[in-house]
Amino acid sequence: MGILEALKNIFDTKFSNILNNNKFVLFDFSKNTENTLEIKKDGTLSIDLSKVSAEERKKIKEQIIDVSIQNENETFLLDESKNKTTSIKANLPKDSDKKILEFYHEKLRPDWNKALEMSLVVKNMSQKGEDIKDIKRDIRKKYPEFGNNLCNMVGREYFHEHFKQLHKSMLEEDFDIVEYRNKVEKIVKSLPYTVFIDQYKGYDDFAGEIFFKLSKLKKYGTGKLLLHGLGKNNVKTTLKLIEKERDTWDITDVKIELNKNKTIITATLYF
Amino acid sequence: MKFGNLVFDESSKEEVLKMFGKAVDDEGYIVEEENTNQRVLTARGEEIHFDEWAGVVQGSEAFVKSDAFSLIELAKRIN
Repeated sequence: MGILEALKNIFDTKFSNILNNNKFVLFDFSKNTENTLEIKKDGTLSIDLSKVSAEERKKIKEQIIDVSIQNENETFLLDESKNKTTSIKANLPKDSDKKILEFYHEKLRPDWNKALEMSLVVKNMSQKGEDIKDIKRDIRKKYPEFGNNLCNMVGREYFHEHFKQLHKSMLEEDFDIVEYRNKVEKIVKSLPYTVFIDQYKGYDDFAGEIFFKLSKLKKYGTGKLLLHGLGKNNVKTTLKLIEKERDTWDITDVKIELNKNKTIITATLYF
Repeated sequence: MKFGNLVFDESSKEEVLKMFGKAVDDEGYIVEEENTNQRVLTARGEEIHFDEWAGVVQGSEAFVKSDAFSLIELAKRIN
């Protein structure tokens, strides 16, 4: 018996003009403005539980809600949550995104993998122009230390390229998965005070960006700025920037982490 | 599991909760109406704040939270 038939059974001859003369695809429980049953603009039949008798309410629970959930194996959700689940389902990682999850599965901690998966959903939603505020807020709330930065970095495809490249470079030397994991975590957590030295910008652009970020950070005070580069050319650029621009930055110290092959550099500027 | 064609909205959330024999305690968490010291848990053992309650799936006791991390697990199970 479908929901409409069950309602006819429960309400007997009441509301027969609505129940006998219409077909409904969706039913919702809502506090209606005037009547127990109302047809909404989108054709949904709305039922106000506060206006039905105790006996009718009991029958609605047993004959409609319990049957849907248990016999039909259907969800019974808040409308907003149903919409949110629908949206997540439509944007679940597929194909190349699935490969990203597989790549990081054994490399990152379980919490980071969960945040990564959800961030891929956000990236897909964003690419379709869908509203991502609610889900980004959930990521920030669950992982306040790194969720927001990780989500932003997934959107900018750092996990598709940069961190895979970092892994490849680290594999060329004595590889330690914990060291790799720590490096990824450090970079993600320090995103607001990191400059990525890459091939897409020139020396002068980076010199300007570092100077600008330093002046901002000095005002709001984190005490350090990270320069991170991958690949021989970017390492060279980073070292050149430190050597030539250091005096203009007004910093107190520089700590340089450089691998043996000189393909990975993380320089911390203290001020 | 599949999406049902039956939903409820924010205005009827409390009425729906009552139908499942649940209430809300002083701190806003969902509890058993007959034993208000007993907070209702999700399948993962998490307490559920009334504001975070998304609904019910598979069996009257399978309460779900509305955050994205709970709903992504549901989304993967929906056919």
